[in-house]
Amino acid sequence: MFLAWNELKSAKLRFLLIIGVLTLMSYLVFLLSGLANGLAELNREAVDQWGADAIVLSDESNINLPQSSMTIQSAQNISAKDKAQIAQILLVARKSGTKIKESVAVTGIQKDQFLMPKISEGRAFTTDNEVVADDSLKADGLKIGDHLNISSSDQKLIIVGFTKNAKFNAAPVLYTTQSTVQKIKYGKANASGKGLINGVVLRDPHFAHLKVDPKLKLTPIETFIENMPGYTPQKISLDFMIYFLFVIVSVTIGIFLYVLTIQKVSIFGVMKAQGISSGFLIRSVIAQTFLLALFGVFIGLVLTTITGVCLPAAVPIQLNIPALFVYGIIFILVATLGSLFSVQTIVKIDPVKAIGG
Amino acid sequence: MSILQIQNASKIYGSGHTEVNALKPTHFSAEKGELIAVIGPSGSGKSTFLTIAGGLQRPTEGSVLINGQDVTKLSEKKRSRIRLSEVGFILQASNLIPYLTVENQFRLLDKVKKGTMNPNEKEKLLKQLGIDDLVKKYPADLSGGEKQRVAIAKALYTKPSLLLADEPTASLDSDRAFEVMSILSLEVKEKNKAAIMVTHDHRLTKYCDKVFTIVDGQLSQIAHGDRADAQLNASD
Ligand SMILES: Nc1ncnc2c1ncn2[C@@H]1O[C@H](COP(=O)(O)OP(=O)(O)OP(=O)(O)O)[C@@H](O)[C@H]1O
Ligand SMILES: [Mg+2]
Repeated sequence: MFLAWNELKSAKLRFLLIIGVLTLMSYLVFLLSGLANGLAELNREAVDQWGADAIVLSDESNINLPQSSMTIQSAQNISAKDKAQIAQILLVARKSGTKIKESVAVTGIQKDQFLMPKISEGRAFTTDNEVVADDSLKADGLKIGDHLNISSSDQKLIIVGFTKNAKFNAAPVLYTTQSTVQKIKYGKANASGKGLINGVVLRDPHFAHLKVDPKLKLTPIETFIENMPGYTPQKISLDFMIYFLFVIVSVTIGIFLYVLTIQKVSIFGVMKAQGISSGFLIRSVIAQTFLLALFGVFIGLVLTTITGVCLPAAVPIQLNIPALFVYGIIFILVATLGSLFSVQTIVKIDPVKAIGG
Repeated sequence: MSILQIQNASKIYGSGHTEVNALKPTHFSAEKGELIAVIGPSGSGKSTFLTIAGGLQRPTEGSVLINGQDVTKLSEKKRSRIRLSEVGFILQASNLIPYLTVENQFRLLDKVKKGTMNPNEKEKLLKQLGIDDLVKKYPADLSGGEKQRVAIAKALYTKPSLLLADEPTASLDSDRAFEVMSILSLEVKEKNKAAIMVTHDHRLTKYCDKVFTIVDGQLSQIAHGDRADAQLNASD
């Protein structure tokens, strides 16, 4: 630490630049991982809000909620600890009297069951055709009291409240009563639609033991999310992007720190001639790298957080602070490991060469 | 017991066509209180001799005993420890660490070695060398002579029994060179050390007890102290 710290102090500008490079690298990784998270989150954030363990859908639906259909009767036969019925239809909503259009997921639930979202603004729906909307719609110019025309039906919806983080497969969710969804799907007159819903969401950690009707299919909630259209390929691309970025940045930092050590070979040689052990020098190089990486990552984290707050709401960034800390720690470890490249160099320094001539 | 004893040591660099006989088989010893000069033309093997004497590299054949311990038989790690405790190297300006102040050059040695000088001894040494006002400075802010004196202080700070100096006065004007030599000779006499100094400068041999020449790797003693001086001047 003694050598490491004194060297930092004596060449402040040089080490500030190095910290700057480390900061920018960690900032890049943090920010991109935040954006990738945000993008993946667009698909699943509503589902994450449910806090569910599993979902029951019709066997024929191929684990696709909008395509699934089952009777309320069969839903009631499921003996899970906590369950909630869900009806859903994907459609395009247009604000009455304007050209503002948006693809939405109109989702019918029972007010007294756990799918009922937290209201962040306004109030809960009380009668048919009242909806609680995802608050990302506010950015499109929608507000409480707005009327919505919908494609494929003459029903009109009215926004009475907003909730946060409610996107399903990238579409903002409009929560409403089950019968509203049934009316849109099957028309007002069709009585047979009254008994139909899309699925049942379960909160029960032991769902695996549950028996369901052979026409239905019990699916863990993660599997359900992975089967959302586009979700898995998109996630794989994003994950690989981040992994590659991480690996490339780590190697770059390793090389960078190695070059830094190479520059000090002659000084190390002099110290070795004096009898200072390789171990002491190696420890000082590692300590120095650790300090640099620590400063760099810390500033990177601060910058990322500030950026996250300042970016407009339309940018899907999701900063998972605990995950960023983990990334940061890995980053510091990798940089420190990178300095181990230099160990071999230090051991091999021939003190004779350093003092020879 | 001699501080340094070199028995039949030789050094051959490379092999076959590129073979260089840098040091021919050599017997040599340095006793307490002796300041010894080694003179020779460039490429004659002076640095090779000095680095073998200090346990920085192994001779191809023969043995090197520092205070009775054969360093040719030790691992690099153990030789490194002997260098730290028994040997003080004085090089040209390069043996100061550029990013440490003079003060911290000494603190570094405190970190890696027990039994360095206590504060009183250190203060006395720095006064003696006239560098007690420079402790807060970095090497880049020192003159060539000041650097050299700090380097000497650094070599003495670990209380070595054997001092090895490779052209310690090369970057100094003659007044400074004489000054440095008298300090070295005083240290050696006062503290009963042995010192070997490689130099090009014949005028410095008057401070020395023994003078050796080395030509094409062949070491031979030419005279004692002042007589050596006279002899060399006569032959010039
Ligand atoms: N590592 C090495 N590999 C091969 N040959 C070497 C090596 N080191 C030195 N030599 C050769 O050994 C001979 C003696 O070298 P040495 O460095 O001891 O000379 P020197 O007397 O110190 O010269 P100078 O006064 O120029 O410093 C030279 O011919 C040199 O080329
Ligand atoms: Mg030399």
